[in-house]
Amino acid sequence: MSAMALFAREVRLAWAGGGGPAGPAAFNLAALALAPLAIGPDAETLAAAGPGIITFAALLATLQPAERIFGEDVADGTLELYALSGVGLALASLMKALAFTLAVFWPLPALAFLGGLAYGLEPVPALVLSAGLLLAAPGLALVAAFAGALAAGLKRAGLLIALIAAPLQVPLLVFAAGAGRAAMDGTPTVLPNLMMAAAFTLAALVLAPLGAAAALRARLE
Amino acid sequence: MWSYFANPERFDRLAAAMLPWTWGLTIVLFAIGLPWALVFSPADYQQSETVRIMYVHVPAAWLAMAAYAGLGVSSFVYFIWRHNLADLAARALAPAGAVFAFLCLVTGALWGRPMWGAWWVWDARLTSMLVLFLLYLGYMALRGAIEDEKLGARAGSILAMAGLINLPIIKFSVDWWNTLHQPASVIRFDGPTIHASKLWPLSIMALAFTVLLTALVLTTMRTMIVERRLERLERQRESRLEAEAAL
Repeated sequence: MSAMALFAREVRLAWAGGGGPAGPAAFNLAALALAPLAIGPDAETLAAAGPGIITFAALLATLQPAERIFGEDVADGTLELYALSGVGLALASLMKALAFTLAVFWPLPALAFLGGLAYGLEPVPALVLSAGLLLAAPGLALVAAFAGALAAGLKRAGLLIALIAAPLQVPLLVFAAGAGRAAMDGTPTVLPNLMMAAAFTLAALVLAPLGAAAALRARLE
Repeated sequence: MWSYFANPERFDRLAAAMLPWTWGLTIVLFAIGLPWALVFSPADYQQSETVRIMYVHVPAAWLAMAAYAGLGVSSFVYFIWRHNLADLAARALAPAGAVFAFLCLVTGALWGRPMWGAWWVWDARLTSMLVLFLLYLGYMALRGAIEDEKLGARAGSILAMAGLINLPIIKFSVDWWNTLHQPASVIRFDGPTIHASKLWPLSIMALAFTVLLTALVLTTMRTMIVERRLERLERQRESRLEAEAAL
């Protein structure tokens, strides 16, 4: 099985299985709808808090289905087949995380744009925020996949994944939300923030699959 | 050298010989350091008596970071060479480091209330210490969730190494986050560089905390070695009883 075939298979599975993108999208939407109810309807406060709440809600939405990334593979033996397939566990982990980003997390940047408008951001800052999430989403998914590989098959894996992944996702949260805030305030740090978010996604692209593969290999022994 | 001390029996003998001295030194250092720091050292001209919190706060912060570095290094040694003792060291370091991080956060809050007028400020250093505390919690939760000892050790070592790589990155991004949006009233510790009358008690307290961590880790590791031996003996006894019953 080639890496591309694996990728295509994982995209189809992620899209169709367990509600696909509907779960995280609905979760994200619920978080965005509940935050103003807690904060209060003051427009200025909401706009100021908007980029942060929207990025944070997206981060939580990437943790929500993380248990599925590797949990089922460990449970039904697919993991052993992947290990024997010649693709290599690191590349397989990378393909799984990217497939998950593409098939399940694609609504998150779109929701960030709509959420930005709803929270009273101008269209351009909302677009910047959406771009920040677009750059950060693969990184968030990769960190979630790494945590998912560590916790795969354990009891209450979801809670464990959230506790493991959240601190490691801090840099992505800071820079994706930072880009949105900078665009809103008109400070010239929009581009550096976006580039830093992209840089951390690239770093996660290299490191997270290696970590996930090491965790999965430990499970196979 | 790793392999020489990786023998649990040899380590146990060495630790047994070291422990009374380590605990004794801990007690002596605290007996000197605590009165000096908390009673006899001069009050600060700006912070008055609250400066004394610093003598617990700063060593706790150092040790919380040092313990995580130790956790990462032991995990690396375990991951590469599979020495069980390295895993025991990692398991012993995690709760100790978490307690130091917690102590640092609590004493910081107690100091911040009279000095800054707030229990908590979203300052970069406070926030990275909080994230460090969360990393400890994640590590301990993962170790607690995995029953299989070998798998737990491998998974734990991978997570600890990932945390070690990430820690400077988190620190850097949190610094960036705070410099972007500095609060209007810049709250900073703008006192003079530390005076010798405070540096001495601080150094002794730092040393006392370090020796305390060593003593705690060695004691915990010995306990775990004994625990493991006990489990093995119980298993042997059970299998012998079963064999006898079968006869």
